[in-house]
Amino acid sequence: MSLTSITNKGFTNAVVSLAVKTLKVRYKNSLIGIFWSMLNPLLFLVILYIVFSQFAKGSDASLNYPLYALSGLIFWNFISASILQVLTSFIDNGDILKSVNLDPIAFPFASMLAAIFNLFLSFIPFLAILYFLDYQLSWSILAVIPYVLITSVFVTGLGMLLGTLNVYFRDIQLLWTTLMPAFFYFTPIAYPPSLIPEKFQWLIKINPFYFFIDAVHQIFHDGEFPSMENSMVMIGLAVGCYLLGYFVFMRLRKGFISNI
Amino acid sequence: MIKLSDVDIAFHIQENGFVSLKDFALNLGKHSFLKKKYILKDIDLEIYEGECVGLLGKNGSGKSTLLRTLSGIIIPTKGKIDIRGSVAPLLGLGVGLEKELNGIENIKLLCALMGMTKKEIKDLMPGIIEFSELGDAVNWQVKRYSTGMTSRLAFSIAIMKNPDILLIDEVLSVGDIGFQRKCQRKVEEIMSNGATVIFVSHAFEEVQRMCNRAVLINEGSIQLDGTVDEVGKHYHSLFD
Repeated sequence: MSLTSITNKGFTNAVVSLAVKTLKVRYKNSLIGIFWSMLNPLLFLVILYIVFSQFAKGSDASLNYPLYALSGLIFWNFISASILQVLTSFIDNGDILKSVNLDPIAFPFASMLAAIFNLFLSFIPFLAILYFLDYQLSWSILAVIPYVLITSVFVTGLGMLLGTLNVYFRDIQLLWTTLMPAFFYFTPIAYPPSLIPEKFQWLIKINPFYFFIDAVHQIFHDGEFPSMENSMVMIGLAVGCYLLGYFVFMRLRKGFISNI
Repeated sequence: MIKLSDVDIAFHIQENGFVSLKDFALNLGKHSFLKKKYILKDIDLEIYEGECVGLLGKNGSGKSTLLRTLSGIIIPTKGKIDIRGSVAPLLGLGVGLEKELNGIENIKLLCALMGMTKKEIKDLMPGIIEFSELGDAVNWQVKRYSTGMTSRLAFSIAIMKNPDILLIDEVLSVGDIGFQRKCQRKVEEIMSNGATVIFVSHAFEEVQRMCNRAVLINEGSIQLDGTVDEVGKHYHSLFD
């Protein structure tokens, strides 16, 4: 059912319409609209710069700390916010799910699509700021497009897995919002991985988010395409997570109506 | 034509809370952490083209679940459903409306949720706006609408796609008397084009006026199927 509906025009229109609605509502009543999604990382950047830049520079003298931290922050915000939006999409749309004959997989897709729109909209001011932080424009920026695609597959899978479980156990949502800030410090977003002592290096590599943030640093800070090894790990994580999320969703979706 | 043979609908209800997350992980896919509760059992029902059938029954007897099943929202646990023709469910009126957006944007959104393509929506748009009698108000944000206006918008969207099968769950009494009459006329028009209507209502007079057949559902099974007067008598006796 879910696979056939993806090729269905009406289904696609429903997904796009839901995503457009989310964006319209988000920015309808605000004056500076899309710039809000820039404000949060910039505020964080100021704080992190004051606190961490000395440490970071100490371990890696060639580091352009503001550029490194800001690019990491922007994509971390994208990843963490979109996981949460996909996670809650079934519950947020419970009423629609109960009274309209629409494949429920439309809701995670629409949330993901809205997050991607949002990311690309914030790209223009983002690039302007990066320019002031000495970002050297290079071909590697083209890697952003496949990067966002792969990351979105990963996020949709993980969000769908957690979101499906969340229909039955609302604790998942609370657990996840508790874990996300911890992951912010556990993942080398605003500090270089070399800052971590040798004996703990393996810990970093068991964190799937590490690979997705590392790729961003490679693209924006180093001006290079993500390494082959990193790309393979990301693709593997994306496919694995999506299949798992899809499987769990298909297994448990029939209980959605009575548990939402 | 609609044919249900030996249909069971059970809900899987999670009862134990977070304690059973471990059990859940161990039994993934077997549903043993969910309790099965039957909402409808052994439903055999045949509805022919052009019939208007009223579904009667107490609150919680399974009427809405039956309509949701016919509209494809709920997949039956057991049994077979055969439906020929396009189905338009009028279940929760106004579900999916976004108060921050204006009338036109909401028409586009709700039609899209019902599975229509951009082109279909464009074709239906003038008819929907006209039927809703909202005039200039279609350009207002829906949060500025009165309750009646919101219902009129929602009903106009739901009714415009002339379906073969119309499922109505207590949504005909919206707006003022003028609009109610208009809605009834519209349903009658759809019926006169040969559509099948299945109608859930607690207003027995409405069922009496519109339907030529009634089905009484009690505690998840069909108790009586026959003429409206016959079934109505039985229905009223449930409350004595």
